Amino acid sequence: MNYPIWELPTIGGGSLIALIAILHVYISHLAVGGGAFIWLTDLKATRDNNPALLNYVKKHTWFFLLITMVFGGVSGVGIWFIIALVNPAATSSLIHSFVFGWAIEWVFFVGEIAALLLYHYNFDKLDAKGRHTLAFFYFLFAWLSLAVINGILAFMLTPGKWLETGNFWHGFINPTYFSQLFFRTAVMGMIAGLFGYVTAVFEKDKNFRSTLIRYCSRWLLLSIPFMVVFGIWYYFSLPAEVRSVSFAANPQTMAAVNIMLAATVVIFCAGVFMSLKVGRIVQVLLTIILLVVGLGWMGGFEYTREVARKPYVLGQFMYSTSIFKKDVESLNKSGVLPVAKWTSVRDLHDKIAAGRELFNVQCLSCHTIEGIRNDIAPKMEMFPYMGVMAQLFGQGTVQGYMPPFVGTRAEMATLAAFITTEINNTAIQEKPEPYNPPALLQTDIPDFDSKTDAYVLFVWNDLGMHCISDCDRWFVILPPANTLEAQLIKRGALPEMITDGIEMSYVVETGFENPAAHSEFWTYAQQNFGVELGKNIGLAGKKVTGSFDLDENGISFHAKMIPVMPYPDDGPYNPYPLFTVEAKDAKTGVVLASTRVVAPTSTEMGCRNCHGGEWAWQGAAGVSDVTAVNILKAHDRLSNTNLYDKALKGQPQLCQSCHADPAVGAAGKPAHLNLSAAIHGWHANYMYVDGGDACAMCHPANRNGSTRCLRSLHATIGLECTHCHGSMQEHALGLLRGQEEKKSAARLMNNLKPTQVASAAEVNPRTPWLNEPDCLTCHVDFGAPTPNPSAYNVWTAGPEELYRMRTGVEGSIRCQACHGATHAIYPAINGISVHRDNIQPMQYSNMPYPIGANFSCEVCHKQKKQDSIHHLNMERPVRNEKIKM
Amino acid sequence: MNPTSLVPTPDAIPAPAWLFWLLGIVMFALHILVINTLLGSSIIMLVGRLVRKKAETPVVLAQNTAVKTMALFAFGINLGVAALLFLQVLYGHFMYTSSVLMAVYWILVIPLLILAYYAGYLHIRSTSPTISIVALSVSTAILLYIGFVYVNNMTLMLMPEKWTAYFANRGGTVLNTSDPIFWPRYVHFLVASVAVSGVFLALVQAHRAKKGIASTGLKIVTGLHIYAWATCLQVLIGLWFLLSLPKDIMMSFMGGNLIHTIILALGILLALGAIFMAFKGKLKATLYHLLAIVFLMVINRANLRSLYLKEHFSFQSLELSPQYGVLALFLLILLIGLGAVYYMIKIVTKANQGRAAS
Repeated sequence: MNYPIWELPTIGGGSLIALIAILHVYISHLAVGGGAFIWLTDLKATRDNNPALLNYVKKHTWFFLLITMVFGGVSGVGIWFIIALVNPAATSSLIHSFVFGWAIEWVFFVGEIAALLLYHYNFDKLDAKGRHTLAFFYFLFAWLSLAVINGILAFMLTPGKWLETGNFWHGFINPTYFSQLFFRTAVMGMIAGLFGYVTAVFEKDKNFRSTLIRYCSRWLLLSIPFMVVFGIWYYFSLPAEVRSVSFAANPQTMAAVNIMLAATVVIFCAGVFMSLKVGRIVQVLLTIILLVVGLGWMGGFEYTREVARKPYVLGQFMYSTSIFKKDVESLNKSGVLPVAKWTSVRDLHDKIAAGRELFNVQCLSCHTIEGIRNDIAPKMEMFPYMGVMAQLFGQGTVQGYMPPFVGTRAEMATLAAFITTEINNTAIQEKPEPYNPPALLQTDIPDFDSKTDAYVLFVWNDLGMHCISDCDRWFVILPPANTLEAQLIKRGALPEMITDGIEMSYVVETGFENPAAHSEFWTYAQQNFGVELGKNIGLAGKKVTGSFDLDENGISFHAKMIPVMPYPDDGPYNPYPLFTVEAKDAKTGVVLASTRVVAPTSTEMGCRNCHGGEWAWQGAAGVSDVTAVNILKAHDRLSNTNLYDKALKGQPQLCQSCHADPAVGAAGKPAHLNLSAAIHGWHANYMYVDGGDACAMCHPANRNGSTRCLRSLHATIGLECTHCHGSMQEHALGLLRGQEEKKSAARLMNNLKPTQVASAAEVNPRTPWLNEPDCLTCHVDFGAPTPNPSAYNVWTAGPEELYRMRTGVEGSIRCQACHGATHAIYPAINGISVHRDNIQPMQYSNMPYPIGANFSCEVCHKQKKQDSIHHLNMERPVRNEKIKM
Repeated sequence: MNPTSLVPTPDAIPAPAWLFWLLGIVMFALHILVINTLLGSSIIMLVGRLVRKKAETPVVLAQNTAVKTMALFAFGINLGVAALLFLQVLYGHFMYTSSVLMAVYWILVIPLLILAYYAGYLHIRSTSPTISIVALSVSTAILLYIGFVYVNNMTLMLMPEKWTAYFANRGGTVLNTSDPIFWPRYVHFLVASVAVSGVFLALVQAHRAKKGIASTGLKIVTGLHIYAWATCLQVLIGLWFLLSLPKDIMMSFMGGNLIHTIILALGILLALGAIFMAFKGKLKATLYHLLAIVFLMVINRANLRSLYLKEHFSFQSLELSPQYGVLALFLLILLIGLGAVYYMIKIVTKANQGRAAS
């Protein structure tokens, strides 16, 4: 922002830093450790009166000088050059904050050069004491220069109190100063031994060579245990936040750590092996291998340190993008382009040009475009525009090693547009694709004669909408499993609930009889659910035609988990298949009552909006292979699983096999978040749209979608999902608060903010499906809703208080019997056929309102009643008669 | 686009600007003396070897002298680090920017410098004349390249109005060779290198003569003549340089600003004096003149920088966030460090004397 950005889209500035830094750090550690090596070996040669060893020291010093003073010295300047080119702002900060530290280091640098040149060029002229003094001085200066640079390097990762005070010493002697200093000192011993081999293997005398090699091995082998101990100290001296964000959560760090650990083991073993009696060729080969492995070790360490610092270049102070942490808030308001110095674009009219500038500012410091390091293209290719937006929005939250996107929402959209069109080469689709529904269907209302009919039959779907993931070969969140419930009432002054002596049956409408023809659920049922299911048989043994069972509550019937699919044999996507339900006298077979009910069932899961891919079924719904694979790959990458490979081997997984879920009675794994908490908690961090639109990104609630599941009165009068469930972030917080004992909950909650309550701590914890919004929060005493209604944050105490489980105060009539299914309460407006969800009120009272509304007690009682027997406030006219159906 | 709007916001400085200015002057003067010597003697060695390659004895310098040039490599880089450090404290926001604009050329300095360094060692170590001369050529060519890049950067950093070139070229390959001051400034540096190394070579020979080592290279007087003729040429180039400056800046050195004018005039007078001394064969007097000239010219250079940037920047605009304790520690460590170096040199001198005596 403050400086021009060197455009290196292919190589990436980071690669150049890495290249120079890894080589330099390798050699600079040699420069210190090797100094001790020369000094102590010279002492030993003198003490043992060993001219051969002294001659070795002389030769080694020449090699050492060429490596450290020339390559080490200049590459050190090289790091300075390259960081100033790639990240001038951070370099400037480091120079200005620590100029006297650098100046002190420079003095030591002078001392180093002087000592080494004097020692080397006067090796033969000096007496032992003179040599030892100079060698010692060299080592001292070299180690002191390490002690200085160590402070500044450690500062970059853990600036400690400096952040508050700006005091040089607070920054310099910071929380990782000593642990890193000791660790690096031990590393130097190892590297000194390693480079000792290089000159040792050239000794011609076999015995002397072996002695030398063993001597070098001692340096190497003795240093490693110290290195391990100090390494552990170093790791634990890192702030807990760095450990969790940069190590536990960042797969890249762990890869680098593993390289380092593996290299340590190899170096140790090779060191042991070198000490054995092996031939010269083996020694030379091993030395070459060791040099390479040593470089790999250094690469692993440097890379670990580099990514551990992410998202900052200067810990907690400046992001990798060179943006100061303190400026983020104001930049989010002003935008980046209007205030950035080095941009030719100030506004967002030309999205590509502006997007490119934003890319340079926000991304280029770490990512290349189709380049050699951290290539943005494969990371983005799966994402359509909305997915890119989600990534940008969620950047720096759950994956805390990325800096946050900085700038206005319009700038975010501009950058997303650039990435979508210029990197992904795909078209921009800003909102979920609208579905063009076929002509409205006719819903025939069954007959009812209030004078002659003796029974009324109420049937409803338990949830108001049942979703199906329908990508069984990849994974399953929800199988086809729609539950219908029913109550049969014998009409009369004192109506009678009939549960004995009847048979209750259901038949699906034509075209939906063979769901197995449209779903792979049955192919993978054994793998996913551990049961062998006959075709068209659901998980509870029901087919799409069958009979109801009496519920254990003794007042209603159910037909559980009917495997109905929204795909008719012939015709467009239809998420509202009808069932005809009949109650018959068990003995005579006489039909006592008959009605119809909708079994709302949708495969319109909006995963593809962000995860890419097309709809699987007729451009209307269904999770396609591409979408599912993208999801699995993301899960594998982020959670270290191998779901994709398993699925390829024919072993797709049920999400609930790890993530508990009361909806399907799955216990999950103890350490894992339950499914609702995990899925909402994760995605809430990425959800860049607000209100009900956020819900509709995934759930079939898009008002222009193929399902349009919000059919209830509440939706008609303008309430959104969020009025009851809270915003996406609030919703997730409730679920995560319910899982706070689990480690990952905190990570997901860190960046979520409630708007209806003051803080996350005030969000009441809840268990999904059991603790839900309570109707009575707004409808106090069953009355008119409170003004500006919000049912958020007051949860039902348990399943018995759920709307879908409760009865009237009389204890026998289920709420849903009279008011309709959850999410489709009467009067409901169904997008594919207006009265599809209102069949029973229309059938029994010829109006779409709740059963008994407008004093129509006679539906069951055959006469008007005066008292509110089922609940308070029921004897009144309907409030919503004005609604246009 | 207003060029000032491109100038990055500087960071606070931890001590008064004059201190960094002074440290910068001292470090750069020492650095440029070493670098002039290094480049100049490389050029002279190379020219000597190319012109008189059939001669049997080492033509220009004994190996020993070349070895000394390798120490110059080490200290040239080391002093450059200090000079660049203090420059960045005051002018980092200008210099980082110009560096990014020419990033490719700038970063190439590093690998090429390593190559030049090794080539320098190969030159003195190789027993093959061909390899040796190729190595010297490579080393010299790289040093010329590095000077070229530095002059580009040090001039481009002064000219924010030229920075808009970035918007047409973001790949880091912007140079400033088209500016009228580029070539005179670069040639000024090259000629200075030859001049300074003339004195250096004369000094080496004088030292050897004092120690009674038979002369195998050029004579003291040749070194001084190289210096004198080069400096004569330098006066003309200096004039070219002066005339190539923007008029208002040029006028500052020609009476417009009394101090600037005095320092420049003093430098020119001393240069004329030095030419006289050199032709007279007075090594020590030439050397003292030379040292004074270099310091004066380095101050001139700093004045020129302030004049170029006066539209965009002044030291007063820098925020001060003092770290006097650490400054004191630096000065203390500097003293101790220099003391330690002195002590080490004493050890070596004593050893050499001991050997000579025995």
